[in-house]
Amino acid sequence: MTTIIDTRVQTTARARHVGTAAVVRWEVRKLAHQWRAKAVLLGALLGPIPVVFIIHGQSRPPKDTLFGRFATENGFALALLILGFAAQWVLPLLTAIVAGDIFASEDQHGTWKTVLTRSTSRGRIFWAKTLASVLFAIVTLAVLAASTITSSVLIAGNAPLTGLSGQQVAPGDALALVSASWASMLPGMLAFTCLAILLSVWSRNPAAGIAAPVVIGMVMQLVGALGGVEPIRPFLLSTGFEAWHGLLTDPRYTRPLLEGAVTSAGWCLVTLALAYLTLRRRDITGG
Amino acid sequence: MRRTVIPILATLVAVVAIAAGAFAVNGGSSSITKARLERSLPTTFSNLYVQRARIQGRTDVTAASLHATAMCDKGGAALPDVGPGGDWNCLMSWTDPQVPMPQEGYGKFELNVHSNGCYTAGAPSKLVGFMTMTDATGRTVTNPVSEFDGCFDPQGDNTPTGNSFPSLLSVLSTTVQPTVDHRAPIQISCGTGDGGCAGTVSATSGGVSLGSMGYAVKEEQTATLTLPDPMPAGASDVTFTFAPTKGVASTKPTTISSQG
Repeated sequence: MTTIIDTRVQTTARARHVGTAAVVRWEVRKLAHQWRAKAVLLGALLGPIPVVFIIHGQSRPPKDTLFGRFATENGFALALLILGFAAQWVLPLLTAIVAGDIFASEDQHGTWKTVLTRSTSRGRIFWAKTLASVLFAIVTLAVLAASTITSSVLIAGNAPLTGLSGQQVAPGDALALVSASWASMLPGMLAFTCLAILLSVWSRNPAAGIAAPVVIGMVMQLVGALGGVEPIRPFLLSTGFEAWHGLLTDPRYTRPLLEGAVTSAGWCLVTLALAYLTLRRRDITGG
Repeated sequence: MRRTVIPILATLVAVVAIAAGAFAVNGGSSSITKARLERSLPTTFSNLYVQRARIQGRTDVTAASLHATAMCDKGGAALPDVGPGGDWNCLMSWTDPQVPMPQEGYGKFELNVHSNGCYTAGAPSKLVGFMTMTDATGRTVTNPVSEFDGCFDPQGDNTPTGNSFPSLLSVLSTTVQPTVDHRAPIQISCGTGDGGCAGTVSATSGGVSLGSMGYAVKEEQTATLTLPDPMPAGASDVTFTFAPTKGVASTKPTTISSQG
């Protein structure tokens, strides 16, 4: 445990206090050099543009999805249509590409022993990797939302939006509501981040860590769409992804947003606790 | 391995226990209810109907002046009116001075309601027009109210609205095919509504009375009524007259040509 990797930390007197921050910085730096993470961010930035062009160019609007019937002529509706689609699997996938890999890649490359020779604890590395994944999820969602909303409004126009109670929403209010709807995806996306972390730690396999959260997300959606499963609906992460509907009605209802945030926090708490215990108790010397 | 399996099993057990607890508390009842739909649909419809009127260049209606009220029903009389599905029907009446309601006093909307509280409604084209319409300047535009989406709060007000509309009796037969003993059968259907259809039907053919008989049909059901007396030889049509005691039927006699 004497190998010096980050000399700045070692030479300051406050080494103990800045320990976690230094490890977080290290993890973020590792992420920034990963082609995978860069590809996700680039995809989030550029991906919405062709999607917006293609939907805007349709002669028949995609009416079977909420806001689809206005999507070809209204930028706000188009951004909300893409939001509904992104919540199905895009958001879980984007966060899982990093979070599902961040622990398992150390197994894949056999680098746990090397990492743990740094003068820091296993717990600290766990929290640093978790924090780096969370930061990445926040940045990815912000980039995706900004890109989608900007390109939708620029390409399909900013006419007043027809809300989910048939009410007309002025462009200024519509922009705020659409942005808030995109922001409301954050708790659910972070819950998927935590789930991906658990699967990453537990499976030690990046492929499982990335694919399993997406599959679990889709199963939750399928279950949530069934009738007669009302008691378990509030516990599904997919329910929180639909809570933004309440922002677009008149009068608004925000309780599903609150419930979605609580559910996401619960999932995060449980999955992170399991992941932490699994990692703490793992015998890495053999790895 | 046991160390990982035990916490995961424990979590699963906890989740199942919570779900079972929740099930016991609310009895597995759905948040998709008749009352919530009956509150949400008229609001959404009124806003969109006003939007349609503005497209037509009309300023004589507002969402409040329409006084829209709805009665919703899922899957006929036999099924409970709760839960998601594509078999929701809502009867809605509203006041538009330029478009009077039909005799039964409402239009029928067909809804597909999802488990998240959002729905797609199809409106009756005889009252609101087809998918496209002509705006005040003569351009063809989408009719906002022909088919529309809406959402309601899954935890919103669930007290019954008490809205009630009668079922509409309609004649399904397009021709009368006499039975072997020359009696005249007619197929009728009873639409969505409160209490089904009941009353008396009488008929005449070639100037001869075919007698009268009582009928009682549940909502969203069909029935075949065969008048008691035989048709005269060579009669070319049969005229039926309904006298409903429950539900509504056309006040005008219905004449149907005979195949015999």
